[in-house]
Amino acid sequence: MIKLKNVSKLYKPETQALKDVSLHIKAGEFVSIVGQSGSGKTTLAKLLFAEEKPTGGSIVIGDWDISRIRRSEIPMLRRQIGVVFQDFKLLQRKTVGENIAFALQVAGDRGKRIREVVPQVLKIVGLSDKIDRYPRQLSGGEQQRVSIARALVHRPKILVADEPTGNLDTIHSHEIIQLLKHINSYGTTIVLVTHDRDIVNALNKRVITIQEGEVASDMEHGKYKLS
Amino acid sequence: MFTSTYRLFKFAIQNFFRNFWLSFVTITIFILTLLTINAIIFLNLMANATLKSIEDKVEITVYFNIDASEDIAKASQGYLLGLPQVRDAVFISAEDATSDFREKHKTEPIILSSIDEVGGTPLGHAVVVSAHSPADFPFILEAIETPEFSPYIRNKDYQNYEDIIKNIETINGRIQIGGIVIAGFFGLIAIMIIFNTIRVAIYVHRDEIGIMKLVGANDWFIRGPFLLESIFYSLLATSAVMGGTFLFLGSFETQISNFFGEVNISVFNYFLDNGLLIFGSQFVVLTLLSVLTTWFAMRNYLKV
Ligand SMILES: Nc1ncnc2c1ncn2[C@@H]1O[C@H](COP(=O)(O)OP(=O)(O)OP(=O)(O)O)[C@@H](O)[C@H]1O
Ligand SMILES: [Mg+2]
Repeated sequence: MIKLKNVSKLYKPETQALKDVSLHIKAGEFVSIVGQSGSGKTTLAKLLFAEEKPTGGSIVIGDWDISRIRRSEIPMLRRQIGVVFQDFKLLQRKTVGENIAFALQVAGDRGKRIREVVPQVLKIVGLSDKIDRYPRQLSGGEQQRVSIARALVHRPKILVADEPTGNLDTIHSHEIIQLLKHINSYGTTIVLVTHDRDIVNALNKRVITIQEGEVASDMEHGKYKLS
Repeated sequence: MFTSTYRLFKFAIQNFFRNFWLSFVTITIFILTLLTINAIIFLNLMANATLKSIEDKVEITVYFNIDASEDIAKASQGYLLGLPQVRDAVFISAEDATSDFREKHKTEPIILSSIDEVGGTPLGHAVVVSAHSPADFPFILEAIETPEFSPYIRNKDYQNYEDIIKNIETINGRIQIGGIVIAGFFGLIAIMIIFNTIRVAIYVHRDEIGIMKLVGANDWFIRGPFLLESIFYSLLATSAVMGGTFLFLGSFETQISNFFGEVNISVFNYFLDNGLLIFGSQFVVLTLLSVLTTWFAMRNYLKV
């Protein structure tokens, strides 16, 4: 599903964020990416949805080599990869339903389809009753669930989550991870970037540790090893 | 496709109202630019009409001797009508000339009594010549001096309007240059304003734009609203100026034509006949200008 081969990323002028990273993530996997602050986790995530382009090496998603992706092709890629961030990125002036509908509208989906999909994804994240609330009327965990729901509207094969629990307390974090596992159980590949030792240990899934831009370890059923 | 177009319009209209004051200022400056341009057109129209009417009024009167026969005068009329430079030549008989003269001087008893003293018709026949262009008068004045007519001609009277015409042309030229400078000035400000308006609109919508990009919005879906917004500005400004112009010309039509007296044109009709061309081309140019500027602003501030 995701193949990285000798990928490097240099931020000008001299920050070598990633060095010679090779990875193979199979369809349906749930992979955690861990590492210290500044080790290059976010950079790796950004490469997957073409927010950044690699300086060297190749990134293949499905059979699509996105290392030299053209700007006009990026929207296509983004509809196949859902993304979730620490800060939710919800529009404060729009309701939950409108925030989710927005992702479909800007992709040119028809009203009929939008009215179908929005309740579906809200149901998946368990927020069917909050469709008319504004983000500020929701808890952090609920807001993150809205952003996950939005990431699901195009039925992506891959979901990339960069520190989705970074702003949440333990209980809400746990809910979010449960939700990701639930989504994973339907076959969606999950790439989870996280700092949280407890989460990683509890997951008992594949863990890739990044250290100074390099893959330091890659273990099935791994544990969080960094201090 | 329809759904997307509808949404583009919706977003564009939202942009418009969310920055209402900026939109307002942008349209105002667009209107000022257009008003200057239309004022130039208006003044130019007036100047040309004035020139035309003055040129029409310029005539040569050829006075024949009292003893010159009507045949001679009529022959010269025919000869003059044959010249391509001559627009018209009118024969005025001695009787008509005398009564005209009396009419003209009816408040001056001394002159009238001196005519009565002479008795009969003291004036000879005359031919009044008008030309297509005032520049042809010297030629016509020459041409009439043929051996056939020359001996019978007493006098040639020619009111010289050339200085007036030159003055009007100079003033009109100055007004045009001044107008173009002012229009250019407003145009420049308009470009800077629309650039800034779009820049602010992009800034205001940065979160939305960021999210649009993340969820896979097409490029044109992100750019479209801003382009549409700039087209709205042009459309609104042109419509406002067009409406204002017709309202102004319509309600002051009589005053305008009184002011210009004999100048016999209807500015209102002129704008009505050519309105599509005048305002259409202004709309097209304004739109091109603002769309280009918007594109430039997006290239700089919209990191799509
Ligand atoms: N846009 C950028 N321009 C220049 N340098 C950057 C940029 N983004 C990240 N970096 C640098 O690249 C390195 C890796 O950054 P990255 O954000 O990938 O780290 P991270 O592992 O996600 O850290 P954290 O856990 O704090 O989020 C850091 O040294 C960072 O300063
Ligand atoms: Mg990070």
